[in-house]
Amino acid sequence: MSIATFLGADWQTLADAFGLGGIYALMAVGIGLVFGVLRLVNFAYGQLVMAGAYALAFAYERGWPVWVGVLLCFGVVIALSLAMDLVVFRPLRSQSPAVMLVATFAVAFLLQSIALLWFGPLGKIAASLSSLNQPWSIGGVDIRKISIVATLVAAGCLVALVALLGRTSVGLHMRAAALDFRTARLLGVRANRVIGSAVLLSGLLAATVAVMMTVQTPLVTPDFALRDTILVLAGVVLGGMNRLISATLGGFAIGFASGFLGGALPTDQSQYLPSFLFAAVILVLLIRPGGLFTRAGAQAVERV
Amino acid sequence: MSAPLLELDGLEVHHGAVHAVRGLSLSVDRGEIVGLIGPNGAGKSSTLHAVMGLVPVAGGAVRLAGRSLVARRPEDVARAGVALVPEGRRIFAELTVEENLRLGVAGHRNGDRKAAVAHAYELFPVVEEFRRRPAGALSGGQQQQLAIARALVAEPDVLLLDEPSLGLAPRVVDVVFEALQEIRTRGIAILLVEQRAQRTVALADRSHVLSNGRLRLTLGPEAAADTDTLVSAYFA
Amino acid sequence: MRHARAALELLAPAFLVIAVGLFGTTVSSSTETYVITTLVNVAIVVALYVFIGNSGVVSFGHMSFVAVGAWTAGILSMPTGEKPAIMPNLAGFLRDTTVGNVPSLALAAAVGAVYALVVGLPLMRLSGLAAGIATFGVLEITHNVLRYWEKIGPGLNTFSAVPETTGLLQAAVGALIAIVVAFMYQRSRYGRMLRATREDPAAARAVGVSVYGQRLVAFTLSGGLAGLAGGLYVHLLPLNTEGLYLNLTFITLAMLVIGGLTSLWGAVVGAVVVSAVDSFLAEAENGVQLPGGTLDLPAGTRIVVVGALMALVLILRPSGLTGGRELPLPRATLRGLLTKFSA
Repeated sequence: MSIATFLGADWQTLADAFGLGGIYALMAVGIGLVFGVLRLVNFAYGQLVMAGAYALAFAYERGWPVWVGVLLCFGVVIALSLAMDLVVFRPLRSQSPAVMLVATFAVAFLLQSIALLWFGPLGKIAASLSSLNQPWSIGGVDIRKISIVATLVAAGCLVALVALLGRTSVGLHMRAAALDFRTARLLGVRANRVIGSAVLLSGLLAATVAVMMTVQTPLVTPDFALRDTILVLAGVVLGGMNRLISATLGGFAIGFASGFLGGALPTDQSQYLPSFLFAAVILVLLIRPGGLFTRAGAQAVERV
Repeated sequence: MSAPLLELDGLEVHHGAVHAVRGLSLSVDRGEIVGLIGPNGAGKSSTLHAVMGLVPVAGGAVRLAGRSLVARRPEDVARAGVALVPEGRRIFAELTVEENLRLGVAGHRNGDRKAAVAHAYELFPVVEEFRRRPAGALSGGQQQQLAIARALVAEPDVLLLDEPSLGLAPRVVDVVFEALQEIRTRGIAILLVEQRAQRTVALADRSHVLSNGRLRLTLGPEAAADTDTLVSAYFA
Repeated sequence: MRHARAALELLAPAFLVIAVGLFGTTVSSSTETYVITTLVNVAIVVALYVFIGNSGVVSFGHMSFVAVGAWTAGILSMPTGEKPAIMPNLAGFLRDTTVGNVPSLALAAAVGAVYALVVGLPLMRLSGLAAGIATFGVLEITHNVLRYWEKIGPGLNTFSAVPETTGLLQAAVGALIAIVVAFMYQRSRYGRMLRATREDPAAARAVGVSVYGQRLVAFTLSGGLAGLAGGLYVHLLPLNTEGLYLNLTFITLAMLVIGGLTSLWGAVVGAVVVSAVDSFLAEAENGVQLPGGTLDLPAGTRIVVVGALMALVLILRPSGLTGGRELPLPRATLRGLLTKFSA
């Protein structure tokens, strides 16, 4: 008896878990990159994914080919990210953490309500890639294509990211800025360029996530990806906000657990899952503020 | 006669209500070492920070080869040819020594980056030895050498140092100060902020004593042995 | 002079509340509901201000205390016969007890304060980002529990059959109580010590102020006021968990930010102004008659407008409409204006 069947799951659930873990890992990177250079948690990150999903729906409704829809999705998300940076992040860079926190929260709400106003509450359909919901037959077992595709895409993106951060100048500048922005600037690292790069990358990741999410959830509503963003934020805090790698691991872990339990647990036992999850988040913030996947005693967010 | 390379003219720096620097005027020319000494809180670091654009200049002028540096971003000042070796070294402990140096090259304006790195390795061989190690694995003295090397890699015209001898053993301070002698021969203008008054006065072409934000006294190297003058200037 | 300024600090917001209440007596009954809601919002925002304004720490979780207060007052004041309709699984004590209006409000405040104390004991050590995330977690946990735990409340169902005792008078009195308590707190030694930690935590600690302790005091007090506001709220409108969750969190924070995070006057002004705008827009969404013609806005405009206002204030004038200060004495304002124009 394999471990999977022992836990009441099956291969599909396992694949789903990896897929969701991968998607959440990408979102965690998107949030972590911006946090690293700006020390700002973008509560509105989910709205970037939402905007991308709406772009896909827009293209689908008009019967445009898939690649046009994807291009539109990327275009919209990147434009929105840059706009967010210019209009919200930069003016607020010098403010207290409290103001920054409330501001991104406000932006998240604002964008969601604009979507509600513009598109209405009923939602739009973005089903151009729905063929990925069909299963592949692997060794006699049926697994949905999207679960595998999501896992591979996520893995590919992460590998590309590691290469970017480790081997390019831009990547080096971003890493240095995340460690000590002031000193990096003293060495000639251009602040605006580094921040812009981080925002751009984070936008690319959000668009990728939007494309993959619409496969399993083709109905796009104003609160698209809201639940996921909250979970990813929890995961990032649990993993460790201050380092990109621990944040990503945290995001992946939450996604994996979510996907796994979602498939394996009966509904009535999963009702209080959010409470346990956030209780864990609070516990980590109190006891091990650096996060679970970092060295013990790691510095993190402020404490009294 | 051409203008000195770095010129401060009546510099005023405020920290909120406190006047950290009041009307400071000094100049550093190519190949000169100018010392800036004084007790804690005298405004020495604030002076360097103001030159680099880390803190706003409340009054007066800061000129590099005649052109004003006031109200420019730190990265632009760095790219204009001014390098700061910050207090406490501030190397990136998690990056490798080589990556730290590559960051220094970020401020490089033109020319041969490889040669600049090679130059830095020549000056501080221990830095080359530890190239691939994380910078945090180096000792305090080695980190200080790395910090200076990193600043030099950009081939600046002006080098600012904020208390490089802090926390270093005397033997290591020797190495650092000897390196400064060598750097000066490359035509770089050096402004050295230090707490070790005697060594600085002995090394520099002239040393300015700063106390409570004001310039109290200017000493030449011959005054290095004159403890009384030094002490009285400090507590003026 | 000092006493006059102190008096104004209390009287200005109080008179504003009374003015709003009096205004409410002159309008139609549908507009009156908006006015009463405005007054209840004042109570909520003042509760929020007592903690956030004095400590400088953002709490996203205060609607938990409003919700807990609403639950307490709502469940205990419903007639016993009506309870099984929406709360069939209610625990024995809650099912069989019914209390009057004022006791329900008092209990709401008490439960809110106790819950805030319990939550605050671990959380008050956190600052900045950590505090924001942790209090958001509290909001999530409370929302989750109240939604599914049917032994202590209606779960998903909406409160009904709660006596609708919050009219103009009750709402105004509730808002005034909140204002008086907030005023007394901020003038007290505790309030001043907490504000010192907001300005300069290191210095405050150096003179022996316990940052943790003072924050806990403010958090508990604000939890009690929030609970009271929740009690007022449940006696006004049919509520459910969704109405006491993210939307309300957002709009009450917007009120505080737009009015001015750091002053009592700011909290009250923000609540009144934003409620007025929001009420007008709510009417407009149903089609409203203006001198020029009919204004009919699409549903959802109000949140966009409030959200945009909040974002604008944060970016352009983070100290809010009032500049985060209490209303200065008329002479001081005049003097200030004069020096501005003569300098």
